[in-house]
Amino acid sequence: MIALARKSLLYEWPRFAPVACAIGFACLLQLLQASLVLGIFRSASVQVSGSSAQLWVGYPGTASVNLGRPIPEGVEALMRMDSAVERIEPFQWSDGNWRGSTGNVAVSISGINPEPDGQVYAHVLSPAERSKLREPDSVIVDRSDLGKLGVHVGDSASVNGYRVRVVAESRGLRSLSGINIVASLETARRLDTDPADASGPTYLVAQLREPNDADAVAARLCCKPAFGPYQVWTASDFARRSELYWMLDTGAGAGVLFLAMIVLVAGAAISSQALMGAVAGSVRQYAMLNALGIGLKNLRWVVLEQALWIGAAGLAGAAVLGLLLLLIAHSQDVPIAFNGTVTLACLLVALAVTGVSGLAAVRSLRHAEPALLLR
Amino acid sequence: MSTLHTRAPTLRARAVSKGYTTGRLRTSVLENLSLSIDSGALTLISGPSGCGKSTLLTILSGLQGVDQGQVHALGDELGRLDKPALERFRLQHTGFVFQDFSLFPALNACEQVELPLHYLGMSRSRAKERAQHALDEVGLTSQRHLRPAELSGGEKQRVALARAIAKEPQLLFADEPTSALDAANGQAVIDILHRIARNHDTTVLCVSHDARLIRHADRVLYMEDGRILQDSCAPSNAAGPH
Repeated sequence: MIALARKSLLYEWPRFAPVACAIGFACLLQLLQASLVLGIFRSASVQVSGSSAQLWVGYPGTASVNLGRPIPEGVEALMRMDSAVERIEPFQWSDGNWRGSTGNVAVSISGINPEPDGQVYAHVLSPAERSKLREPDSVIVDRSDLGKLGVHVGDSASVNGYRVRVVAESRGLRSLSGINIVASLETARRLDTDPADASGPTYLVAQLREPNDADAVAARLCCKPAFGPYQVWTASDFARRSELYWMLDTGAGAGVLFLAMIVLVAGAAISSQALMGAVAGSVRQYAMLNALGIGLKNLRWVVLEQALWIGAAGLAGAAVLGLLLLLIAHSQDVPIAFNGTVTLACLLVALAVTGVSGLAAVRSLRHAEPALLLR
Repeated sequence: MSTLHTRAPTLRARAVSKGYTTGRLRTSVLENLSLSIDSGALTLISGPSGCGKSTLLTILSGLQGVDQGQVHALGDELGRLDKPALERFRLQHTGFVFQDFSLFPALNACEQVELPLHYLGMSRSRAKERAQHALDEVGLTSQRHLRPAELSGGEKQRVALARAIAKEPQLLFADEPTSALDAANGQAVIDILHRIARNHDTTVLCVSHDARLIRHADRVLYMEDGRILQDSCAPSNAAGPH
């Protein structure tokens, strides 16, 4: 069989190159949009996903990690009594008012265990960075927030009227919920001026002897009324809960998701129109083959093969460009999450759009009189 | 009157009518038209633009159906065949040549001719052999590796002709095959069509207003306003009107 689809593509590549570019860019847009959406919403749970704890204990019904309220101190004793729990530590979350050279800025304060084996932000802060927090009134901020706070490492500012010093900058503390500054538990308690927070920690986090048992242990420890109001989640559940809250329950999330849908539809429309235009350029030749008795079914396969080759070429270009853009985004601390499943989904959507567009182009043959086409 | 009349007609139209509707306007193209066409001859349908000659060709070839009447081709009533069956009929029995050559820019002359043969289930070597033979027959032996962009208009039309005859069809339809060609190339195409009809006993039905073709046709049907006004045979061929 003559490889009509491939031969045409290679010989007439200037005609098909814009189509491949359109498909590639459409896919790239979808992929970057999806990665940005994931990255932005994943940053809403950076406190959870950046930690090594398997269990999180917080106030019942807490929708997102940044909305925590104090839990009773007695819950820690309950946790320690369970033999499955290996280590447990408190995490203090509070709001603050940063006053620096740029004026007043609302910040969130994370009070963590500064020891090298501390669980909260274990994946974000190095042991050396954590140990700097042992110094009283010291804080660490994300390097992308330094400008907004108007400080450099080594500078001082005030939080809720208390003087603090920036002892280090870090990467990965950037959160959807706002500027996040990290301090030791002692410093955070000192900076917390809300009397309601004095009753206990905002969260307790725990590592288990057997991390795979997290679901069972969380269910076992959860919600004993005798210990007051508290709830236990596995880290993955709590992270997802926070991300879904920002994604679905906030206007920002709905807006970004709507934008993602528009990008998807626009990409599909652009690539399908471009492909249909390119296929339409060969419609007289296809009509001639149909007149000679070659059925629409066979012609459909030729166009489908051609469409998929064009799509593959476009996607290969998109992969290279996408990788480059992801590297640039990472270097600029843009919250972008590269996800294999999402990438595969974007590729499949692009290929499906390509295939369907190709078949739609062949459909025009069905409605056209071969006799009229060939005049 | 001749051998043309001693055999059963390969194409037969009986009381065929066809019209088109544009918006609310209904235009009748063919009206109660009947005719029979035999094999082994080059039959030409001539007439002014819009007289319905191309419509008649597409109806006789199974490219479109009729509003009324019956069309028989090689004994099959085309109106009874569904779309796949019509495609099969055309694949097995018909060849087409149009004014627009409709060649694929990426394929060389040999591949253009080979392509439809593969859909007949022919092996690659057999298809290649047939394609080369068809190109020899239209005088393009040395141009078989050239793509359309490297061929003249006349050569492109001869490639299209080779593509049509490579299947060895019993019915060959040509719509204005010489209109876009200069005198020499037009004459070459006419000669080839004539030769195919004679040598292969093929039914060659040609639609044209090219006066050069009229002189070479075995039979000429003159149409106007959807009707055949005149049916004449070339004296040398001794084929009379039906």
